[in-house]
Amino acid sequence: MPRFHELTVRDVKKTIRDAVVVTLEPKNGEAFDFIQGQYLTFRQEIEGVELRRSYSICAGRGEGVLQVGIKKVDGGAFSTWANERLQPGMVVQAMEPMGSFHTPLDAAARRSYLGFAGGSGITPVLSILKTVLATEQQSDFTLVYANRGVNTIMFREELEDLKNLYMGRLNVIHVLESDAQDIELFQGRVDAEKCAALFDHWIDVTTVDTAFICGPEPMMLGIAKALKDHGLADAQIKFELFASAQPGRLERKARDVDAGTQAARTQASVTLDGTARSFEMDKGVSILDAALENAMDAPYACKAGVCSTCKCKVLEGEVEMIANHALEDYEVERGYVLSCQSYPLTDRVVVDYDQ
Amino acid sequence: MTDEMNIADYLSQGGKLTNPANVPPRYRAELMKLMSIFVDSELAGAAGFADVINAGPGIKERIAAARIVLEKTDHADKVLRLMGEFGANTDRYVGHHPWTDRLPRDTAPGSARSTHDMRLSVFNYPLDGWVDAVVMNLCMGHAVAAQLDDMMRSSYQPLAEAIRDVTPRETRHTELAEEGLARLAEQGQGAAIADSLAYWRPRVAAIFGDPSADRLAQLKGWGLRHATASEMRDAWETRLDAALNRLGLTQAA
Repeated sequence: MPRFHELTVRDVKKTIRDAVVVTLEPKNGEAFDFIQGQYLTFRQEIEGVELRRSYSICAGRGEGVLQVGIKKVDGGAFSTWANERLQPGMVVQAMEPMGSFHTPLDAAARRSYLGFAGGSGITPVLSILKTVLATEQQSDFTLVYANRGVNTIMFREELEDLKNLYMGRLNVIHVLESDAQDIELFQGRVDAEKCAALFDHWIDVTTVDTAFICGPEPMMLGIAKALKDHGLADAQIKFELFASAQPGRLERKARDVDAGTQAARTQASVTLDGTARSFEMDKGVSILDAALENAMDAPYACKAGVCSTCKCKVLEGEVEMIANHALEDYEVERGYVLSCQSYPLTDRVVVDYDQ
Repeated sequence: MTDEMNIADYLSQGGKLTNPANVPPRYRAELMKLMSIFVDSELAGAAGFADVINAGPGIKERIAAARIVLEKTDHADKVLRLMGEFGANTDRYVGHHPWTDRLPRDTAPGSARSTHDMRLSVFNYPLDGWVDAVVMNLCMGHAVAAQLDDMMRSSYQPLAEAIRDVTPRETRHTELAEEGLARLAEQGQGAAIADSLAYWRPRVAAIFGDPSADRLAQLKGWGLRHATASEMRDAWETRLDAALNRLGLTQAA
């Protein structure tokens, strides 16, 4: 079970107009060892609501600091708070580093890496390239870095410094969407077509051992396609979808109305995959079993309140959750329950598996 | 470069999800089901096999069996850790259920699951001695290979990576079964092998099932399933028949 730890903010530095690099130090001297490319999940109460957001570590593994980059997202409560309110001395809470956006390094290896970053997707890629270049002294790294314009490039100067430090081993190609570039190839969006052109003229994909991609979804799809077209296998391509991306909704929930009362019976409405179904159920039956009995393909695995596969949200009415070994307090406060352990208390309950 | 894209569209075009923060609720639930099927099957398989270690006729056989138990338990741990990142209680998970539970040996082949865990139905049938355990391991090993091929392409990248990581060892377990069976055949155990094959083959075949057409389409759209059950069953039959041919054990399906 993930645990939260307290971290002191040591520094908050603006990189570009709407992004900060936050330096953190674990309190109580706890070890916060991370692997390049991992992320931290923060929790913060903002206007009475607990928010959890994940941000990639941008420091290299051997640098001896813990830093994350946070870019302000339009309407993003946490990123706005971090950019406007966060100050040195404040204490924040984060889980230990997680994520598998990395490959094992070998000091004796001579490898070629290719990284693609879109906008703030640079943060984990920067961590990887710094660690790789410092650890594997014979390996090289080519970074294709996509941005709107020159003034939105995070870590532009730091990348220049790194190029000088690792002369000949780090190659950075900036591709800008709106600002004119000397070479036409470096202008526009990084999509499959652009990658194919880069691979034909600029980057030798045949020598690439591993490619890392972090950016928005369409960009990742385009790059992955181009890499596969040029012979890379799935296992050689590592993705990191923006850790800060909003969890998407697969489908909209539907609502319905119904009513009914009887002491031992409950009128239940269960939404699954956008479809709501109403049925009468016994109060002695769990929400999950009732849904299954009514031919709904409700999700579950352990039926013991341990795995959390059957998590759903109670929208109306009350249920009693007799065991909970998986959901955290904040989830329960928001109305989430483990449906395998939940029995109706009220004459009507409305639950939703889609949110 | 902050283009928005609907997650469902992204997945249908082969996009990968990389951590719990990006995962929509229904996708999460289906992914958790798939992961628990894997974890429960490895745990139940290892638990069943643990009981036959002492039935191994020689020290090599016992080492092979013990290694299979160790590694299958380790594989369960790898995927259970991913479930833990979604909130599953990894400390309690293993203890919540008796993984050695089995149905009576003469229960007819079927695909029904037990109500309290997600192990593949084949793991509800008990092993009957050493020869039987080796035959089951061979039959099921090739079925696992067909299933891992599909899971390796999962749109949830950490799962795909975990599966890529465990596959060479799972493949080795099947090779150990084939080596063991070759020895048993040499020792004149042909009749017992044939009996066990007749027992296990239909029970392994029964694990290949599709959910409803709608659900399968949804899982495929989300990149959580790729092949259909019949495609996987065919792949399994082909691999198993090839192994039996190598062993000189030709047995009709």
